[in-house]
Amino acid sequence: MNEDGSLVRLENIHKWFGSNHVLKGIDVTVHEGDVVAIIGPSGSGKSTLLRTINLLEEPTEGRVLFDGAEITDIRTNVDEVRTHIGMVFQSYNLFPHMNVRDNVTLALRKVLGMGEKEARERAHQELEHVGLAEKADAYPGSLSGGQQQRVAIARALAMRPKLMLFDEVTSALDPELVKEVLDAMRRLVDEGMTMVVVTHEMGFAREVGTRLIFMDQGKIVEDGNPREIFDAPKDGRTRAFLSHVL
Amino acid sequence: MPESATTERPPVVKGRPAPLPLSIFAGGIAALALVLGGVLFTQYLWASQNRAPSPSCAERMSGALPGEEEKLLKGGSAVCHIVDALKSDMQAGLLITGMVLGAGMVVAGFLLYKRMPNKRQRNHAIAGAILGIQAVVFGLVILKFRDGDVLIFARNFLNFTFLEGSMDGFLRGMKNTIILAFGGELLGIIIGLSLALLMISKHRTARAPAMAYINFFRGTPLIFQLIFFGFLFLLGFQWRDALFTQVILILGMNMGAYSAEVFRAGIQSVEKGQTEAARSLGLSYVKSMRYVIVPQAVRRVIPPLMNEFVILIKDTSLVAILGLSAGQYEIFSFSRSFFSDSRNASIFLGTAAAYLAVTLPLIWVVNRVEKRLRSGLVGIAG
Repeated sequence: MNEDGSLVRLENIHKWFGSNHVLKGIDVTVHEGDVVAIIGPSGSGKSTLLRTINLLEEPTEGRVLFDGAEITDIRTNVDEVRTHIGMVFQSYNLFPHMNVRDNVTLALRKVLGMGEKEARERAHQELEHVGLAEKADAYPGSLSGGQQQRVAIARALAMRPKLMLFDEVTSALDPELVKEVLDAMRRLVDEGMTMVVVTHEMGFAREVGTRLIFMDQGKIVEDGNPREIFDAPKDGRTRAFLSHVL
Repeated sequence: MPESATTERPPVVKGRPAPLPLSIFAGGIAALALVLGGVLFTQYLWASQNRAPSPSCAERMSGALPGEEEKLLKGGSAVCHIVDALKSDMQAGLLITGMVLGAGMVVAGFLLYKRMPNKRQRNHAIAGAILGIQAVVFGLVILKFRDGDVLIFARNFLNFTFLEGSMDGFLRGMKNTIILAFGGELLGIIIGLSLALLMISKHRTARAPAMAYINFFRGTPLIFQLIFFGFLFLLGFQWRDALFTQVILILGMNMGAYSAEVFRAGIQSVEKGQTEAARSLGLSYVKSMRYVIVPQAVRRVIPPLMNEFVILIKDTSLVAILGLSAGQYEIFSFSRSFFSDSRNASIFLGTAAAYLAVTLPLIWVVNRVEKRLRSGLVGIAG
């Protein structure tokens, strides 16, 4: 941990896609143990913001600090940094040519250099954790969306990351499959994982989030306690958004 | 809806049911059978009865002075059987009967198919008409051929006696063709995959030479490449032995350019999310390519790659230009040398058969693989 307890610090982040100014000067600090929910209308830049944290998007301007080190520095070994930051995507992105076990063990073996046996054991642990140990030999194509997403969570957790990023992980799921994924995330919160969650699940954001960020047009509009923001939004845009989605 | 909006007259949904759907189908079959089967039948008749060659044929086959009709060229009586059977009145009768019947079925089928009472019968009527068209078309082509100089063609291309003793040569040719094609394919895959990885680089300095290579090898004929690089290796590099290896090398270099494009398209068809997932786990660019992207791309490009392979098999015929030694002859080189020895082009029937013997099983495999890939879930599991 850093001396001030911050795990991630974004300083004055700007992101341009061509002439499109997507992030307009973002400053955020995420502390260890935070569960930050990011909400906002589509196109507000919330996914892009999330993806700058593990540098899947390189900010056009500004600095990203992880665990006290500036990872936007060109000399940073980004691959090493990413082993400490787990990410789960909207479209699961499991590797379809590998079975579930190999999906989970690939990075353990090829990045962390873990032995076959140890990797299998850890995969078993993590899959058991999301209730899918018996699917280890199945291929992703034969699993439901909810099961695939839970495997994706297990795959990210197997690296024992310090931080987990969730990018609209329930948006592609059929309604009846959303709960199993949210339950897996809740357990993670209970275990004290630091999480940044871009989501449309307002209930989830309100109940388990320790912090809520509302974004609009590339800027952070509100940042604070979820219950307070849900009950009494200060900004007119937040009010308008919440009245649409609640 | 108001009462007045309904029409007085109900729409006509049924015409009178048409007669005889099966007869049209049967008629079509019969027409085609008369045309194609008739040719086989007359050929069989003349050959099996070993009829004496007609005087005109015998004379031209012996190509000699009057009174020497008996001294036919090698295999001449078999050629005369073909010619005489084709020129016979019986053949003409069968053809014309078949064509008339076929034309009748075309008319009947297309006039009546809409009035058939059910789909099955409608399809029978349409099938009969289509077979009728085929009978007429084949009939016209055969009639046209029959009017020409059948003999001079048959003497040069259909004299099967000239194929005698070519079996060993063809088998060796097939072996060498397969070695050339497999060697070229293997090398082509290695070169192609490497070029594809360069092509998707974000560095222009890596892309440019790959692009130049691909454009050169795709933009010039293989026959030119065989001559150019053949001489480059032989004279330029003073590489005086192992012509066979050099040929494999050139075929592989050519194949590499084509498969590079196939691989590039395959790699780019893998969803962006796959790279992102791999990179987010800490895999480097190279490792994410090696373990995640390329394995998926390779599965996707198997059908187009096999297609290129079938083309390569046939393109090995072009190495005949380089003058391999007899033991290294592939199918076409062997055929060409056999042709110049025998001075008769009938050997090329064997050439076609030899190529088909190599390519048809492969085409069958390609189709199977393609079907399996298409039917599977996303096509890549397992």
